[in-house]
Amino acid sequence: MDLADLTRDLEALRDEALASMAAAVDVPALEALELDVLGKKGRLTTILRGIGALPADDRPRVGAIANAVRGAIDSALAARGIDLRGSALTDRLAAERLDVTTPGRPIRRGSLHPSIESMERIAEIFGQFGFVVHESPEIEDDLTNFQLLNIPPDHPARDLWDTLYVDVEGRLLRTHTSPGQIRVMQTVKPPIRALLPGRCFRYEAIDASHASEFFQVEGLMVDEGTTLGDLKGLLDQFAKAMYGADKKTRFRPGYYPFTEPSVAFDVECLVCGGSGCAACGRTGWMTILGAGMVHPVVLRNGGLDPERYQGFAFGMGPERIKMLKHGITDLRLFLENDLRFLEQFR
Amino acid sequence: MRVPLSWLREIVDVDLSPEALAERLTLLGMEVKGIIRWGEDWRNVVVGELLSVERHPGADRLSLTRVNVGDGEPLDIVCGATNIAAGQLVPVALPGAVLPGDRRIERTEKMGVVSNGMLCSGDELGLTADADGILILAADTPIGRPLVELYGDTVLDVDVKPNRSDALSIVGLAREVAAVTGATLRLTPTDVVEAGRPTSERLRVEVEAPDLCPRFVGRWVSGVKIGPSPDRIQMRLLAAGQRPISNVVDASNYVMVELGKPIHTFDAAAVHDGRIIVRRARPGERFETLDHVVRELDAETLVIADPDGPIGIAGVMGGATSEIGEGTTDVVVESAIFDPTSIRRTAFRYALRSEASLRFEKGQEFRLARLGADRTAHLITEWAGGEVAPGAVDTNPDEPAPGHVAFRPARINRLLGTDLSADAQRTLLARVGVDTAPAAPGTRVRIAAGSDPVEIDARETEVVDATVPTWRRDLEVEADIAEEVIRVHGYDLVPPTTPHTPEPAYRHDPLEVRALVRETLAGAGLSEAVTSALVAPRLVERFPALDEGELAGEPEQRAAGRSIVVTNPLSSQHSVLRQGLIGSLLEVVGTNLRHGRDDIAIFEVGKGYGAPGDPPTHEWWRLGLVLTGAAQPAAWDRPPRAYDLDDAKGVLELLCRRLGFAAPIYEPITDDANLHPGRAARVVAGGSLVGRLGELHPEAIAALDLRAERIYVAEVALAGLAGGSPSEHRVTAPSRIPSVERDLAIIVPLDTPASEIEATIRRHGGPLLRDVALFDIYRGQPLADGDKSLAYRMTLRDDERTLTDPELDAVVATVVEGLTVELGARFRT
Repeated sequence: MDLADLTRDLEALRDEALASMAAAVDVPALEALELDVLGKKGRLTTILRGIGALPADDRPRVGAIANAVRGAIDSALAARGIDLRGSALTDRLAAERLDVTTPGRPIRRGSLHPSIESMERIAEIFGQFGFVVHESPEIEDDLTNFQLLNIPPDHPARDLWDTLYVDVEGRLLRTHTSPGQIRVMQTVKPPIRALLPGRCFRYEAIDASHASEFFQVEGLMVDEGTTLGDLKGLLDQFAKAMYGADKKTRFRPGYYPFTEPSVAFDVECLVCGGSGCAACGRTGWMTILGAGMVHPVVLRNGGLDPERYQGFAFGMGPERIKMLKHGITDLRLFLENDLRFLEQFR
Repeated sequence: MRVPLSWLREIVDVDLSPEALAERLTLLGMEVKGIIRWGEDWRNVVVGELLSVERHPGADRLSLTRVNVGDGEPLDIVCGATNIAAGQLVPVALPGAVLPGDRRIERTEKMGVVSNGMLCSGDELGLTADADGILILAADTPIGRPLVELYGDTVLDVDVKPNRSDALSIVGLAREVAAVTGATLRLTPTDVVEAGRPTSERLRVEVEAPDLCPRFVGRWVSGVKIGPSPDRIQMRLLAAGQRPISNVVDASNYVMVELGKPIHTFDAAAVHDGRIIVRRARPGERFETLDHVVRELDAETLVIADPDGPIGIAGVMGGATSEIGEGTTDVVVESAIFDPTSIRRTAFRYALRSEASLRFEKGQEFRLARLGADRTAHLITEWAGGEVAPGAVDTNPDEPAPGHVAFRPARINRLLGTDLSADAQRTLLARVGVDTAPAAPGTRVRIAAGSDPVEIDARETEVVDATVPTWRRDLEVEADIAEEVIRVHGYDLVPPTTPHTPEPAYRHDPLEVRALVRETLAGAGLSEAVTSALVAPRLVERFPALDEGELAGEPEQRAAGRSIVVTNPLSSQHSVLRQGLIGSLLEVVGTNLRHGRDDIAIFEVGKGYGAPGDPPTHEWWRLGLVLTGAAQPAAWDRPPRAYDLDDAKGVLELLCRRLGFAAPIYEPITDDANLHPGRAARVVAGGSLVGRLGELHPEAIAALDLRAERIYVAEVALAGLAGGSPSEHRVTAPSRIPSVERDLAIIVPLDTPASEIEATIRRHGGPLLRDVALFDIYRGQPLADGDKSLAYRMTLRDDERTLTDPELDAVVATVVEGLTVELGARFRT
């Protein structure tokens, strides 16, 4: 074999390899071809074994030609490889196409009960005004639930709280969170800013707006210079936080034996915006809480000097707050625990 | 209190629209709950004259009437009432009329005869409570006139607060109106024309219990003719919520509404010897009240009696024998003051609370006794004729002087946050009839009244003396004056301020752990329930208090004491305080199952209650949860997965991680009748969580009528639930040396608890063993019937260096040895 034969064989190999590459249909075929041409036992190697038979002068020339052939095949392989691999990925992606419009896999999330959520929200808002949470028992004595709150036995105002009594001497189910006022005053010295959330009980026939069990949040603020004006300012802030900064509020006289002066606090009807509708009894207002300046007798019963200290108390129903907020019209839903209702509070 | 405006206007001028008046009264503290258009409901209802009443040809019980309604042809109307006769005037609802309750009247056919409308009963019009017969109108009623023009009125429904007994009257509310508008009151006449034998010769009153009856005024009216009151009076009473009865009885009710003074009238013929004795009842004394119920009286009851026995329960109800009837000619008018507490107790005892007793129990102005007697006598003679015997019997004519309340204008400003001068405050008070003058030097200021009054020496500051009108029994202390001042000034004029006083010291939020628990469980897919604390007795019997032992540092969270029973329950379904949460939660499950909801995961954070004796009552916090149905719903690519016991454990373990507690340990229990004996465990996580969980016993599922295959329940006490903080835990830096895992498949008898295997592995694993996790449980071939295989993955690591194979093998060998020796375990390879 001479130089010309070798050169011819190399060029033939190049031409054939290039042609085969162009014809390769996929990456494995290309890889097989590569192995066949460039592998350790491949055809290029086989051809180059003939170099040894050439005269020493010719060898560098053949080496140069062989390198050129190898280079041509390599770059063609790479180019063809990119082509083939690219189309394989394209094919795979095409084959893996999903209907992305199907809904996601549901992840179950439970819900939080609106009564408790409402209490927590109230506590959060008043927390910003420095109020801290206290708790007091649900089974109370007559003294703390009534008498110390300036409601003596046989007082006509007792009609405001129809009471459930229990078979334990002198005990009843607290009708409101107000006895907590007494318990806080007896244990904490002013300045007092206390919030008392909790369950209350009444002897009350159950209907859309009455329940025999419900929650209440009581507030108590006592110091030397706490005024009715402070109460008004604070409640106004609360209503805006709860219902929106644009909501109008109304402060008017109310009655509780344990406050003097007493206050009823209204927010403009959330249904009609104040123009008057069935939901607000055509008054344009919805009452959200009762309040007042703590009666001197109550301050004294709490162990405070009523001449030195003064303050206010307020009480509200978290369910009612929530009802007004969400347009719920039946209080019974709160204790029925129908998941179709509860799961709307996720 | 229902206030017909026509009545109010008789006493005070009102230029305001009903809406404006309602708002002004509300802002003054007399909340108007509603404005009733009395008669607004009677659309297309006119006065008709019955021309003829004949029997319906096709029905015995119906009548065929011909009615003249003014213009046009007379109408044929079928009627089912029996109290009608030709010549009467009646309300006629014409076709197209709409009656109260949105009842529409159309031309109809009744048993073959066309009826062109309907004759109305008082009940159908909402005018009276009488549904039995057609309302027969007075003979002089103009035929054809719309009913609303004759009897329509505007009625304010005023919510009078319990402290304002004076305002439970037209006059009292007129005073409030006058305070708003500055108008002058026109009090109604109380003069009587006296004739005949003086009262003193006819009537003697002996008060044997002056503590319960401080004043009794009696008047005598003779020669009355009992009959209906004038129409306008009847309608006015109806608008005010009072049922007309007869002219004499109506007079007493009229005075009650007008003046707020309950009055009783007796048939004088039934008052033996003309002697009235006001005394406590004799124990066991029997007496028939007006409602024809014979009642046995007790010694606490104050009665109005004659020498033969009681003729009335004072302030509460009259007697049947002395009732005013058609034959009554002479009337004794009783206008008395009774002890409010006594009346309240008596009314409750006999379940006879009425408009009258309500007013008595709130206290009566002393002066009203005489005024009410005279006004009643005046009205009786006006409506029923007769003459008033000269003079009155009055057991205590000395009317007390008005009360005084001293106040400091500066203190009132300090309370209200206002800056009203003393003169301004005095002017405001004058508008509600409170006269003021500078107080005498040394006047003490009463800031708390009652059995233990507090009075302040106020020499340093200006003190004003207020004279309280006799009708205002609610003004006793300085704070009462403050409310009067700001009430008349207007609550809307109180300047809103931001509190500037110091804030209290930090206090831990007792809701923190509860909030964490709730949020964690909601995140894990459980919905929060809030159930009634009052449950049915059978629920407490089935789910009694479970004392699971003590939480570290919270001994008061143990369940303790017998269950507490409500003595006046609303229903037997809510008559006992629950001792745990599971029963209530299962009721919720039942409700939702009935709604077709099969997959339920709920929890509640709530209290149990008991009566240990010492202390008398006890309350403890628990977390309860119930799981049933699918944990994961079916989807297009997988079947549903049902909840099982491990889900319940998983929830508790999640909670323990979230709250920084130790991992819980389970211990089988078989003694809980509500739980599957092979699927129940006591659970303890250090001193931080104690309780139990399990699958509900099939018998319990059946007994509670729960339509579910399997239900998993847990109830636990948790540290901090009652108000504590979550536990703090240490955080360690991750090791830079990789861990090595070695698996062990352990064959043990079926009844060997996994907890014991894990504990054994840990005990023998030495310091290099960092974690043990169960990853497979297998039963069946090729294992023997009584065996199971549990596969554990052990994580091994030294934080300083990489472990060598011989070291790892040594640890595994020690563990294998321990398991073999202690549990008789064998190993799969």
